[in-house]
Amino acid sequence: MLWVDKYRPKTLDKLIVHQDIAQNLKKLVTEQQDCPHLLFYGPSGAGKKTLIMALLRQIFGASADKVKVENKTWKVDAGTRNIDVELTTLSSTHHVEMSPGDAGFQDRYVVQEIIKEMAKNRPIDTKGKRGFKVLVLNEVDRLSREAQHSLRRTMEKYSASCRLILCCNSSSKVTEAVRSRCLNIRINAPSEDEIVKVLEFIGKKEGLQLPAGFTPRIAQKSNRSLRRAILLFETCRVQQYPFTPNQAIPPMDWEQYVAEIASDILTEQSPKRLFQIRGKLYELLTNCIPPEVILKRLLSELLKKSDAELKLEVSHWAAYYEHRMRLGQKAIFHLEAFVAKFMSIYKSFLLSQFAAFG
Amino acid sequence: MQSDIRKWFMKQHDKSPGDAKAPKPVVPASQPNKSGSAGQEASGRRKTSKYFASDEKEKGEKETKELPTKRKASNVGNEQSVKKVHKIEDDDEDDDDLVLAAPTKTSIGASPNKKLKGASGRGIARKSEESDESDEDDDKTRKSLKPVGRGRGGRSGPKTPVHEKSKDVDEIDDEEDDKSRKSAGRGRGGRGASAGRGRGGGGRGGFMNFGERKDPPHKGEKEIPEGKRDCLAGLTFVISGTLDSLEREEAEDLIKRHGGRVTGSVSKKTSYLLCDEDIEGKKSEKAKELGTTFLTEDALFDMIRKSNKSLTSPKEEKKALNKVAPSPAKGSPIKSETTSTEKGSENVAPPVKRSPLKSEAKTVQAGNFAAKVTSGTPFCKKSKQPADKSWLQWTEKYRPKVPTDLVGNQSLVKQLHDWLKQWDDQFLNTTSKGKGKKQNDSGAKKAVLLSGTPGIGKTTSAKIVSQMLGFQAVEVNASDSRGKADAKIQKGIGGSTANSIKELVSNNSLGLTLDRPHQTKTVLIMDEVDGMSGGDRGGVADLIASIKISKIPIVCICNDRYSQKLKSLVNYCLLLSFRKPTKQQMAKRLMHVAKAEGVKVNEIALEELASRVNGDMRMALNQLQYMSLSNSEIGYDNIRQRLQNSSKDEDISPFTAVDKLFTADKLRMDERIDLSMSDPDLVPLLIQENYINFRPRSLGGYNRSKMDNAKQSEEEIRHLNLLSRAADSIADGDIVNVQIRRYQRWQLSQTSVLASCIIPSMLLHGQRQTLEQGERNFNRFGGWLGKNSTLGKNYRLLEDLHVHLLASCESYMGRMALRLDHLTLLKKQLTDPLRQLAKDEAVEKVVEFMDSYSISQDDYDSIMEISKFQGHPNPLEGVQPTVKTALTKAYNKGSKSRVIRTADLITLPGIKKAPKKRIAAMLEPVDEGIAEETDGTLLGNEDENSSETEDLEDSNDAEKLQSDLQSLNRKGIQVDMDLKVSGKASAKKTPASRGKKNAEAADKKGGQSSGSSSKRKR
Repeated sequence: MLWVDKYRPKTLDKLIVHQDIAQNLKKLVTEQQDCPHLLFYGPSGAGKKTLIMALLRQIFGASADKVKVENKTWKVDAGTRNIDVELTTLSSTHHVEMSPGDAGFQDRYVVQEIIKEMAKNRPIDTKGKRGFKVLVLNEVDRLSREAQHSLRRTMEKYSASCRLILCCNSSSKVTEAVRSRCLNIRINAPSEDEIVKVLEFIGKKEGLQLPAGFTPRIAQKSNRSLRRAILLFETCRVQQYPFTPNQAIPPMDWEQYVAEIASDILTEQSPKRLFQIRGKLYELLTNCIPPEVILKRLLSELLKKSDAELKLEVSHWAAYYEHRMRLGQKAIFHLEAFVAKFMSIYKSFLLSQFAAFG
Repeated sequence: MQSDIRKWFMKQHDKSPGDAKAPKPVVPASQPNKSGSAGQEASGRRKTSKYFASDEKEKGEKETKELPTKRKASNVGNEQSVKKVHKIEDDDEDDDDLVLAAPTKTSIGASPNKKLKGASGRGIARKSEESDESDEDDDKTRKSLKPVGRGRGGRSGPKTPVHEKSKDVDEIDDEEDDKSRKSAGRGRGGRGASAGRGRGGGGRGGFMNFGERKDPPHKGEKEIPEGKRDCLAGLTFVISGTLDSLEREEAEDLIKRHGGRVTGSVSKKTSYLLCDEDIEGKKSEKAKELGTTFLTEDALFDMIRKSNKSLTSPKEEKKALNKVAPSPAKGSPIKSETTSTEKGSENVAPPVKRSPLKSEAKTVQAGNFAAKVTSGTPFCKKSKQPADKSWLQWTEKYRPKVPTDLVGNQSLVKQLHDWLKQWDDQFLNTTSKGKGKKQNDSGAKKAVLLSGTPGIGKTTSAKIVSQMLGFQAVEVNASDSRGKADAKIQKGIGGSTANSIKELVSNNSLGLTLDRPHQTKTVLIMDEVDGMSGGDRGGVADLIASIKISKIPIVCICNDRYSQKLKSLVNYCLLLSFRKPTKQQMAKRLMHVAKAEGVKVNEIALEELASRVNGDMRMALNQLQYMSLSNSEIGYDNIRQRLQNSSKDEDISPFTAVDKLFTADKLRMDERIDLSMSDPDLVPLLIQENYINFRPRSLGGYNRSKMDNAKQSEEEIRHLNLLSRAADSIADGDIVNVQIRRYQRWQLSQTSVLASCIIPSMLLHGQRQTLEQGERNFNRFGGWLGKNSTLGKNYRLLEDLHVHLLASCESYMGRMALRLDHLTLLKKQLTDPLRQLAKDEAVEKVVEFMDSYSISQDDYDSIMEISKFQGHPNPLEGVQPTVKTALTKAYNKGSKSRVIRTADLITLPGIKKAPKKRIAAMLEPVDEGIAEETDGTLLGNEDENSSETEDLEDSNDAEKLQSDLQSLNRKGIQVDMDLKVSGKASAKKTPASRGKKNAEAADKKGGQSSGSSSKRKR
């Protein structure tokens, strides 16, 4: 079993990072006997999911761990036609978890249906236990505007039988209306020190020899994502043990590929190169790397090597194209447009530099 | 960006009015002289080959010396013709010309300078002025020369003095010059495009860089003479090398217009070899061998001029007018004739009155009556019908009556003839003798399949041949298949055509039941067999069956022999593929028709017509008939104009459309939209795929070596800028497309096409280049479709993996986190041991890891697939094949600890393969889960939803399962978590037996409600 899963804290008490939030949550569910809708947001690898699972366990006890995975189909009557929407759900007796964003633009039907369905199957509260079920919605920021609108009504209407826990990376993509109906909890990315602490905890449990300065390096490399830090840690362990202080930390495969693209762009700006880069971008996309991630990563790689004067402009264009990418459908068009733009800017910048000095 | 685009289009459209309106303050008074000297200069080049006829040379020089005034005059005249060429090239301008011409004529009496300027851009307008003006207009006419000179300058290279002058004038002028220079190139590119070919616009290098022909050194500097229409009639020219001032296509046009013929290679018939420099090529060698006369461009011009001079054309007298006296030839009949030819469409003087079209259509309908039985008397009626019979459509009227009338494909007709002739002997007689012989002669087919493009005479040949041999032809075409008409004719054989065909082919005495008792021989002509579709389900199969039993010959006719529908039919038929007749063959026949109809037309024009209709005789005849309605005399130019746009009606493939968008010059906006809309889904994708490959012509500077570094990099930046703008626009198109698709805003479709096709293609309008070595210089197919489907597949794989990982109850990662963060490590965990450890140890370790995360063999493969990057080593590289097989084996064997919790890893009863979609929905109707299976013994058990009890008669894992299931079932949630402690492979091996067992289990349990949990173990 991977360390990420092996050392995932199962209860709110065992958390190493975000202990304060954990305690607040615990109080929230134990003292009030009821909890409001929750919205967890924060960068990936911060521990949102861990917190949510621990919270569910706190509310429902061990039975919340008994989950099953199923692929549910909703038959939705959308006026003129019937739509079949299929989604993978993860459910226990007390909660259902899903990523409605996967349904694409039909997510709205899912959101409407699932809540109604849960309201119908309202659990009979026999032992004085909780009279509600919890719906965990992942990646709420990927929900379309329509889905979020339909969510806000049902959230109130069925609040007696159903609690929502929303989880997303950025609350800015969640509409105001939904946000105001939830208790917003921001989960910060753990600081590097905290990551080091966790890594050392794992190292101790595993009985590893940790050279000084090794875990901080991993923490640094992890981009403050705890998950990634642990994964990197284990990757290093697989790669080479015992550790040496200067051991190379292997990058993620796709990050490496993006870095290659970035250096390709910087070494040559020509139609031919643009064409080659298109091929590489396609490669990344077909390997299921989300285009937004590619763009973001590419930007940071490019920024690393471009001059200060360019940074603002390049960032501006990256934001511009990311926005358009979300409006559009064919991500490659927008990625390519960004690369073309960058090439054009960079080339003229180089030329002006050249003219200035030469 | 928007405004830029507008500029682009504005320029296009403003062009023609701009020509007339732009003020031209500079008057190049010396213009005629200059061009005269240019002509002399060029004449110096004539000495390059001693083979040139010396007398002609002398004559030419003499002319230039002795008749300077005359020369000038002819120059002026020639300018008109330049203008005319120009005019023909853009027919959108043409309309303006004609409209403009009329008012100028009338207002010429007042003769304000402005008017002249406005009109002077137009050859026709000025002409009227020329003939009407007297000497007091000297100044004015001179002025009028100036814009003409400008027009010429536009066509010429940038070295022309005129051009430079006009450059000084103002910016607009400059732009126009660029434009018109482009238009000069279009003479070549345009034609290539209209032929539907990827001829590179602007012609530099032309299609596939053929020949690397240089631009003419004095391009556009000489006036193209205007001669008598048929002055070159009967002469055959071959053009070789680069001419002095004309592009090759221009020269061809010139010759053809004057009735000459242009061929590709030198033969005995060649009268002149047109070349300005002796390039010692094949053509000139051959010409020397054959003693063909060499001719320079100037000499050609002189020839043409000479013809005109003898007619005392008013144009030549114009100069004389200025100095001497008003011409007596003013308003002479010759003049009016030339005017009439120039203004082709204005001239309406058909000698024969034709009856209205309506009656024609009616007769045609009657004539085409379905399944007509043509009588079999072959008669050779010469097609000299009287003119009063002209209500017949020409295609019917001049339908060939004897095989020799057929255009082309004579050998095929002969073959058909022989086949039909021998048919009786070959099949009927042998069948009577016994079947043995027939099988020996496997080469002989009982049916024949004629194929070829429309309008080349397949049906006609079939009919004629059968007529000739005295067969009675029964024609069944696509229109009959569902119609009643055919059934009626067959008297009582009701129902479908298939019945009547069957009847016909099986009963060779059927002919007797018809009116003509003496004609016992019948042939069935199945026309348009590739149109058998829709309602004619099984039509082809039925036809084949008919062929097998047929007692009469069957002739099938189709357009596309390679059609999927005809695949099976082809095996039973003798294949005869009709080819398109050559244009000479067609022209001959067309000439014949024209003569019979009393239409004056020369052969060259008809050849042009023939080549334009792409071998379609029927279309050629129709066009000819149509043109004859308005003109009694049809010239080369009429045909060019008439058919210029006819190619638009063809089915344009997306590739052609994209090619045209990028390379064709001077397309109008609506043409561009039409092109893009020819396939609004595919064209944008093709554009997106290929736009990087185009080098915009607006960059200029084709010759890179000439440029210094700074300029070159400047160009590159501009190129990148354009690329970036194009990419932006394509992305815009994508966004618009989302609006269209998601919100059904189809009113935006033009916007989308504009953004995704037209703007990019305008920005990068130019020549296609290859980016990679060895790449073919054709437009690639859009890569997006393929990539998108790979993406979809990979997402599905990833989702499967994700579900399995989730189902292992060990992890709660999101799908993207799985891809972005976990996958690297997973890959490492799954492959590294295989590389590093000993075989058994490694396999054991990996299988254990897989089991702990419910990673199936398929998932293993998908992990490898998804984390594979082009240019990076394959994740499985370095793993011995033996280790891989050992891994597969070990995994299939399974282990005690394996718990598989997802439904898709279970095979359902009755379904051989595990369904791709995961299961929940499917379990419901089945109403019964899967039984357990322990080494062949059935231990299956079910838990009912209603009761909370469940009897798990099970050995190991029982406790765990029980707790799982209890918790799951209580709430009435449909349970479909499946536990399986058996290898997938074993499950696969025994689907049938398991199915049975499951059925038994179902019987035992019975009455299950919807949700059911099942587990199987072994």
